[in-house]
Amino acid sequence: MTAWNESVGGKRALAILRSRPFLTVVIVAAVWIGASFASRGFGAYGHLRYLVELGAVIGLVAAGQTFVVIAGGIDLSVAAIVTVSAISLPLLSWPADPTGLASILAVLALTTVIGAINGLGVALLRVHPMIMTLAMATFLQGLLIIIAGGSAVTAENPLVHWLGNARPAGIPAGIVLWVIVSAIVLTVMHATPFGARIFAMGANPLAASLSGVPVASTTLAVYGISGFTSGLAGVLVLGMNGQGYVGIGDPYLLASIAAVVLGGTSILGGLGTYAGTIPGAVLLVTITALITVVNASPGWRSILFGSLILGLLLLSGREQARR
Amino acid sequence: MSTVSPAKSAGALYWPVQMRRNIGVRSLFIVVLAFLVAYGVLFPGLFSASGFAKFTQSWFPLALVAMAQAILMLTGGISLAIGATVSLGAVIAATTMAGPLGVAGGAAAVALTGLGIGTATGFIVVRLRLPAIVVTLAGSFIIGGAALLVLPRPGGAIPAWLSDLLAGNTPAAFVLLVAIVLLWKLYLATPLGLSLYAAGENPVGAYRSGVPVDAARVAAYAISGLLSTGAGLFVAAQTGSGDPVIGTAFTLNSIAAAVLGGIGFLGGQGTMRGALAGSLLLSLMISVMFFLGFTPVAQYVAQGLIIIGAVAIPQFRKVQQ
Amino acid sequence: MTTAPLLAARGVSKSFFGNPVLRDVSIALQPGRVHALLGENGAGKSTLINLLSGALRPDGGAIEVEGRAVSRMTPALARQAGIAVVQQELSLTASLSIAENIGLGAYPRRLGLIDYTALAARARAACELVGLHEPLSTPVGHLSLGRRQMVEIAKALYRKPRVLILDEPTSSLSATETKILTDLLERLRGEGIAILYISHRLNEVMALCQHVTVLKDGICTADRSLAGTDAAGLVRLMVGRDPGDLFPQWQTSKSPADAISVRNFSAGLMRDVDLDVRTGEVLGIGGLVGQGQEDLLLGLYGAIPARTASASVNGVPGLPGGVPKANALGLAYVPADRKREGLHLIHPIITNMMLPAFARLPALKLRSRRAERETARGLAAQLGIKGDLARAAQALSGGNQQKVALAKWMPHDPLVLLLNDPTRGVDVETKREIYLMLRAFAAAGKAVVLLSSDTPELVHLCDRVAVVREGRIVATLERGALSEETIVSAAMGAEDRKVAA
Repeated sequence: MTAWNESVGGKRALAILRSRPFLTVVIVAAVWIGASFASRGFGAYGHLRYLVELGAVIGLVAAGQTFVVIAGGIDLSVAAIVTVSAISLPLLSWPADPTGLASILAVLALTTVIGAINGLGVALLRVHPMIMTLAMATFLQGLLIIIAGGSAVTAENPLVHWLGNARPAGIPAGIVLWVIVSAIVLTVMHATPFGARIFAMGANPLAASLSGVPVASTTLAVYGISGFTSGLAGVLVLGMNGQGYVGIGDPYLLASIAAVVLGGTSILGGLGTYAGTIPGAVLLVTITALITVVNASPGWRSILFGSLILGLLLLSGREQARR
Repeated sequence: MSTVSPAKSAGALYWPVQMRRNIGVRSLFIVVLAFLVAYGVLFPGLFSASGFAKFTQSWFPLALVAMAQAILMLTGGISLAIGATVSLGAVIAATTMAGPLGVAGGAAAVALTGLGIGTATGFIVVRLRLPAIVVTLAGSFIIGGAALLVLPRPGGAIPAWLSDLLAGNTPAAFVLLVAIVLLWKLYLATPLGLSLYAAGENPVGAYRSGVPVDAARVAAYAISGLLSTGAGLFVAAQTGSGDPVIGTAFTLNSIAAAVLGGIGFLGGQGTMRGALAGSLLLSLMISVMFFLGFTPVAQYVAQGLIIIGAVAIPQFRKVQQ
Repeated sequence: MTTAPLLAARGVSKSFFGNPVLRDVSIALQPGRVHALLGENGAGKSTLINLLSGALRPDGGAIEVEGRAVSRMTPALARQAGIAVVQQELSLTASLSIAENIGLGAYPRRLGLIDYTALAARARAACELVGLHEPLSTPVGHLSLGRRQMVEIAKALYRKPRVLILDEPTSSLSATETKILTDLLERLRGEGIAILYISHRLNEVMALCQHVTVLKDGICTADRSLAGTDAAGLVRLMVGRDPGDLFPQWQTSKSPADAISVRNFSAGLMRDVDLDVRTGEVLGIGGLVGQGQEDLLLGLYGAIPARTASASVNGVPGLPGGVPKANALGLAYVPADRKREGLHLIHPIITNMMLPAFARLPALKLRSRRAERETARGLAAQLGIKGDLARAAQALSGGNQQKVALAKWMPHDPLVLLLNDPTRGVDVETKREIYLMLRAFAAAGKAVVLLSSDTPELVHLCDRVAVVREGRIVATLERGALSEETIVSAAMGAEDRKVAA
């Protein structure tokens, strides 16, 4: 019995060592070590902590994106939803709400509904996810300019301020939030029937539906989750920034998809894990930081960023041909 | 109705095939026609020479990127780097054409860049088997970065005569569009061109039949790149200068136009004439909204709604049946 | 027969994911001969064709063209050697016209462009051979499955082959089309073409072919002239036992109580059908391919929209109207196309087995991996699925995949099993096990609805058989009246309709 357990344990250890999430962690570690030798201060605890804090925003957006991609879709509206959250939060504040908790909850409810509408279009109207979420992004962009105009809005929400700046026990609150969200996401994804349904839908929607998986409501939920985590990221980014403005979420669309794919989740759906997305998000901010260290022009920075992502994909991101 | 006897004339097969391709897009053509009429009523200037020129000029770049996206989607691919490629085409045109290379040299540089980018992307996607969405997403950074290197801020110049020719009071845009459509028809009449459909819809069957599937797909990426930088050249001529981020909106609009035109995401579904009609519809919608006094912002909102509606309604009807 | 075979395989072997599919098989295709390749589904016929046409490379052995061994056979080389294959899975493109499909990959050119005049002439000639009279400009997507099959054959003929390989070409053809095809093959044989013909219809094979190779479980069990053999002998070679042994002995356990009862039921192709499924019976659904049988099952299962005047399912009035609801009412459905509809091939076997449970459990209840493993191991033992359950389902053979598709419903103890051709592509042993299971299931007082394209299965396994033609149940045959003849004649509409329920 123990021998059997050991062999299973051994197999599992081997599987982890061979897995894409582990590979991504190794790459992050290698880059960190290499960079701290090359550049003084890069490897300092404060700097690394700062990197992870930045990674938290990408990580939150990418949490929802991971769900959507595993379910066989894609969410191109995450950036717009981050902006919606960061702009509507300062506008939604009531005197009766001194902590700011109520307005945060209201904003999260709003973004969840936006996500669920995406899900509605995909599941019931059968609009291709790319079109549905793209149109949603276009729609939101227009709405935001109407609401906020071109000016930045300042957040005066104490809870948001705390989230963006406080360091309980020396750890930034944003990282704490990310850790909590990650634990929940990983549990839902890998330890609940809901998570299993999502993988089944992504791998073969027809077979999933014939096996009794409620595909429409699960799709709705998946896009709703994406709206929720994007909203949460918007709250965090507002706290870190102090101000919200149109375009504040823009960098997070590409970053979220890149983090998901670098973490080993198949863009075709059905395979993957948020455990890979987490180091994927850290890898992205690390690459960005490195490029900043190089002190190149914006053009070179962009080229370097794209090339590094492409290179990492070539290293590890080959899709098996399947149809 | 077309019970043609075997050996009649050269058109005995070709033209019936072409006519058959209209079937799927007839209702779209009617919608486009309705919009055209509405536009003509709102803006009678459409029927003057200058009004027609302006109208086709506003449509032209969108038509090109819609074609660029459609050709990829027909092979089962997609590009999120169309906007960046348009920008790169624009800045290359704006920095070379007024310089020693001249207009011809500049145009050649624009064309070669487009072909080169397309071929490289196609090679990575097709031969290295990386997913197109992610490759073109990363590619958009590289290409956009290159545009910033060529021209860090808006500037450069297009020779005034070229701007006048392409974007002045001439039907040049329309003539060019007709020429491009004819070239496309010519390409589709080659074995490689027609293979696009087979390579997109049934790649395994196509491969078994002896179709060079990979070559057809890489060629599609190359043509797509060429069309995108070409659109950039035209945009630069319209504005008279280059701007390294001018193309950004074209990525989304190209997908929207192609999908409005009935191009499917799975490959092999749809026709180029549909994509062109889709781009015309999108362009008309933008113009009509502008004319009705929608603010640019309200246009965004309406555009989002219309795209979803246009895609969802036919789908919904199918489900209902 | 002293001439060298045009195409031959010498002692070839091939395995997938460690499962041997072909072991030391030889076959030689002679000019002017129609060579039959027989074998149960999953015996390795398709693999052998893929080796002959260069789509796959053998693990061992050699492929010979005109007596010369080809070290690396590729599809391109095969085409050059004049080998044309009509696969079961069509190689057509729906959005292209008939002519463009026929010429695909080998268009006549003029100045670098497709020469549509020459294409029309040559495609027309190929179409004439197979009796396709639709306009050449018709998109293939507008054709019925049978007509597409004819286009596929015309596509092969267009290439003027010297070796023609046909993989079940008649499975979706009408009687007239089949006649045209057999006449054509006779003529081609006379012209010295070597033909390899794969079919399950033994009378066709007996009438058309001169030589036969029989595969059983990847091994060549016969390679002989057809002269002096009869159909029963062929079956024995294929199955390895007398056909009668395949089916279990059983006593009817049918009760008068209805598990499912519908009146004026319409779904998909089915129109205004009355149907009663009794508890404790195996109700067969027969008929020619594509008459609406599948829509009947899917409609009952709530997977496609359905209308009915009145219905009751396991005592609950009304149709389920959705798959989760149907599951809750005790219905379970096993689809015909395992790869597309039944399984998640890239997922582990255990996940596949547990999916209906995941679909029914509360969404956010924590899973117990240990309990899942125990359930799955129990199911695997019960159904004889061997090996590591953490492997992806695609590593399993067809028969074992089918077992997984069935096994996943067992923990839910369904009251009614809706089975869509459950033995398609399944080896004989597994078939037998599935048959035993179905009868045991019925004996336990549950109901089984068995849609099958295999008529002997309907005859030997069912209490009653409802025969479907053109979206209606044209006959309901009781056990005493069941024979292959009665089913087929009802399916073809040859019989009077007074038998109809």
